[in-house]
Amino acid sequence: MSVWVIAEHRNGELREVTGELVAVARALGAGPVTAVVLGGPGETEAPAAGLPAGIDRVVRVEHESLAGFNGVAVAAALERVAARERPAVVLGAHSAAGMDWASALAAGLGAPVATDVLSLHRDDGGFLAVRTVYAGKLQARVRLAQAPTVVVTLRPGATEAAAGSAEVPAETEAAEVPAEVGRRFVEWIQEAAGEVDITQADVLVSVGRGIGDPEDLDVARDLAEALGATLSCSRPVVDLGWLPKERQVGISGKTVKPKVYIALGISGAFQHVTAMKDAGLILAVNKDPKAPIFRVSHYGIVGDLFKVVPELTKAVREAKG
Amino acid sequence: MNLAVFVKHVPDAAEADLRIGPDGRSVRAEDLPFQMNEWDRFALEEAARLKEATGGSLTAFLIGPGEHEDSLRRCLAVGADRAVRVWDESFPTLGPAAVARALAAAVGEERFDLYLCGAQAADDGYAVVGPTLAVLLGVPWAALVCRLELQDGRIVCDRELEAGWFERVELALPALVTVQTGINEPRYVSILGIRKARSKPLEVRGLADLGVDPDEIGRLGALTRLEALEPPPPGREAEMLEGSPAEVARKAVAVLREKGGVL
Amino acid sequence: MAQACSKRRKWRGFRPPSLLAFQRAKAQKRWFVGKLRDIEGVPLAERYELAACLQCGRCTGGCPVGLRSPLNSRRLLYEALIREDGEVLVEREEVWDCTACRTCADRCPRGLEPVSVIREIRTLKIEEGRIPQTVMDALESALKHGNPWGRSRRKRFAWADGLGVPTLEEGDEAPNLWFVGCTPAYDPRCQEAARALAGILRAAGYPFTTLGNEESCCGSEMLRLGELGLFEELAEANRALLDEVAPETVLTTSPHCMNALRTDYDPAVSALHFSQVLARLADEGRIPFRREVPLRVAFHDPCYLGKQNGVYEEPRAAIAAVPGVELVEFDRSRERSLCCEGGGGRMWLEGLGEGERNAQQRVRTAADMGVDAVVTACPFCLLTLEDARKTAGLEDALEIVDLAELVWRGVEDLPDPCGLETRS
Ligand SMILES: Cc1cc2nc3c(=O)[nH]c(=O)nc-3n(C[C@H](O)[C@H](O)[C@H](O)COP(=O)(O)OP(=O)(O)OC[C@H]3O[C@@H](n4cnc5c(N)ncnc54)[C@H](O)[C@@H]3O)c2cc1C
Ligand code: SF4
Ligand code: SF4
Repeated sequence: MSVWVIAEHRNGELREVTGELVAVARALGAGPVTAVVLGGPGETEAPAAGLPAGIDRVVRVEHESLAGFNGVAVAAALERVAARERPAVVLGAHSAAGMDWASALAAGLGAPVATDVLSLHRDDGGFLAVRTVYAGKLQARVRLAQAPTVVVTLRPGATEAAAGSAEVPAETEAAEVPAEVGRRFVEWIQEAAGEVDITQADVLVSVGRGIGDPEDLDVARDLAEALGATLSCSRPVVDLGWLPKERQVGISGKTVKPKVYIALGISGAFQHVTAMKDAGLILAVNKDPKAPIFRVSHYGIVGDLFKVVPELTKAVREAKG
Repeated sequence: MNLAVFVKHVPDAAEADLRIGPDGRSVRAEDLPFQMNEWDRFALEEAARLKEATGGSLTAFLIGPGEHEDSLRRCLAVGADRAVRVWDESFPTLGPAAVARALAAAVGEERFDLYLCGAQAADDGYAVVGPTLAVLLGVPWAALVCRLELQDGRIVCDRELEAGWFERVELALPALVTVQTGINEPRYVSILGIRKARSKPLEVRGLADLGVDPDEIGRLGALTRLEALEPPPPGREAEMLEGSPAEVARKAVAVLREKGGVL
Repeated sequence: MAQACSKRRKWRGFRPPSLLAFQRAKAQKRWFVGKLRDIEGVPLAERYELAACLQCGRCTGGCPVGLRSPLNSRRLLYEALIREDGEVLVEREEVWDCTACRTCADRCPRGLEPVSVIREIRTLKIEEGRIPQTVMDALESALKHGNPWGRSRRKRFAWADGLGVPTLEEGDEAPNLWFVGCTPAYDPRCQEAARALAGILRAAGYPFTTLGNEESCCGSEMLRLGELGLFEELAEANRALLDEVAPETVLTTSPHCMNALRTDYDPAVSALHFSQVLARLADEGRIPFRREVPLRVAFHDPCYLGKQNGVYEEPRAAIAAVPGVELVEFDRSRERSLCCEGGGGRMWLEGLGEGERNAQQRVRTAADMGVDAVVTACPFCLLTLEDARKTAGLEDALEIVDLAELVWRGVEDLPDPCGLETRS
């Protein structure tokens, strides 16, 4: 039995979530931990060198098709090796990369798969995954059927990452990937820098879909102005074109750590929360008392933001004199 | 270009007090409003635009009981030529692998140039069906696509990654993409439009019609089995500020000053 | 609360249809609005006899948004007449600026209906699916939740928490049915007015009940936004309830609901506006006024109450009945009242126009007149005037008060009828 951790890297850099995967793999006690680093020629060495402690074996797999961590090729490569070596668990991140390769690997292996997992447990019945459903409003316990291999992706940020460094010499393994997988990596693209940098702000007033109407953004702008804060937002506000992408807080936007974060009409999906939960003080206003945002907030106000926020703005102005 | 889009009809959990059913594993859905899964709306719009731009056909697929047909009617109203709903009494607790298998069976011998799914479903949030279906159909895929362009026999798409990064990839057709929100602006679907689409064909198929062995579906369904639903842990247990808006505003100012160090 | 009810037999069979009714409406193709049939096939120009248009421009001259917006009904009608394909018309974004106040139709010497032509152009846009996001959200919410405000149907009756307001769901029967409406039910500002009205009706011993969570949006604004099919679904859902309940009187909080029930539903529902009920109760001496309300107020006539339904006297009578109130008139009142631009779906549209809004002009005039408060009797007017008061910086100078709130102040000291008397 062994546990495989699929190292996540991009553009030559190991991603932080890999440390979290190692920590979970270790704690699972389901055998030695193997880190697998896949990539195009020359892409795996640097990430492999950055692996944290807690790993028993490092395998580097390189192939043209794997360039750019191509999800189709990654699934194909892993499928062949896993079918042969039969790791008990293949652990990946529930990230843009994990959402690309993990379920395909499971499909190829005919293996059980659980994605976006908060914690993974092992008992007599095999593996049990805890995850959330209905945008975080409920928690589900999911039983993975007994099988030679199960595939699990973990929610980034749900676990403390393993520290230290691996100090294990890496083996290289020839990849058994078809030369042509039907998908080709072209390039990495970084969003152009915008006018404001929300990551530098001490105080963020952040609006979500609850704002309902671009014209009503003024309600939040007024509060931001009174507080000397910067305006940020959740993803739907960007999707709707109401604020530019540079103001988006969340995994596909920016990770922020201001002194104060005021969330207005934001439900608290993990993709948002992961990127702001370390703020010094979180105050949420939401009309839904069950909104998951209240679970990461220090203070909460249940109410209509259009009623609460103007009063808050007024009170802030008065307090400032 | 012949296109296939896969949609799901899901409960809208916003502002809902989700109640767990007596079996401890289901949500009492009777008083929840349902709607097309948010990600699928974008997938449908993208498919409709591609059809408008290239000609060809669009077929919509859905797994669900009759009440879920609303989402298929929307697809027809937006431009799908035909819709297929798959349902079997044994389905209610299908896991994502079984759903993908049933969808692949519904596609059957037909071949499409591009298959579009939403990146994930708003209810269970697995994000598993798309890539699984691609494997079953034997086509390459790309997940979380936020831009898509057709270029002689291939598509070039941008996948959305973390922290403001994107990945550009090229897919040979036929291929499957899972669509991320924000890729387009889904159009409004009018009630008259939905009514008019009633004349378009909507087929309903059971497992037997698809030639799928119910045992196989059962086995796939058991791979990942929901054991229990429960309220999430309380987390930080935010201190709730209560009172009239003016009162909570005053309390919030005190908090911002004393605990937040601003003001 | 249960009063003797002539329709007891029917009432007992009452089962809330809500979503079921929605589904049924989808199955049946029942048309509510005869004149809307066949929107395809016959060209606009023919259906609305646009060849009769004199191009005199009286319609445009009276349009309350015409001064600020590119909306020009005369020109639109001309285009509709000379262009058969309608393509140009669909491109016209300014049709969203129309408040559906009907001034144009009232002023036309040839009896034409520019307002309906505009609504049909909106329908063309809706059928194409390219409409402003805020309108889209409102329409989708109305279909999904039965209200345009994106709120859960199960919270529809939450405004009445603790008030002991009767509902049919609870089996509370009465001959009079209060159709509360979406905005009074969900908007926090308008909820205050709804609560005041509940307090008055109870204090006056007026037997009423409500549809509780089962009530659906009346569809007035959906129809005027051009979403005919959605209007029909909503109307069907309400119709099913009303048919089953068969109340003697239907009273509405909003003039828009009243107007829809009276003129858009087919067959019509003879609904009353609450101001009419209050005027009668005051006249019969049934409102137990206990307090002086020393306010000088001006009444803002809601278009859908006054201009469109001729109800001018009753709200004034109800105001006059409140001890201590002094009523003064705007120069532009009654038939000449200034539209607040809240109708025709404009609650979800900012409008293309630049410059001062009508509502702002209205509150400024009121401030110049030196009144303490502007009284109105429509949730949309209440919201647009409240908003204008804030943007005009008149928050300290002027109050915007709903008629029900004004009357309630004469009855009870409490700002809210909460806990006043619980259900017997
Ligand atoms: C791969 C991936 C990446 C993603 N990346 C991000 C990301 O970077 N950032 C991000 O934010 N999301 C991201 N998402 C989307 C995420 O899953 C959620 O859909 C999103 O965060 C929801 O945004 P929201 O809270 O604003 O909207 P909703 O979930 O719709 O919540 C709106 C909230 O407003 C409340 N509300 C409504 N009206 C009022 C009112 N008048 N007063 C008070 N409260 C009100 C409601 O109760 C509700 O809780 C990502 C998703 C995926 C799949
Ligand atoms: S209905 Fe009123 S707002 Fe619309 S065009 Fe006619 S006059 Fe102008
Ligand atoms: S008022 Fe009547 S006749 Fe005159 S331009 Fe307008 S529609 Fe034509």
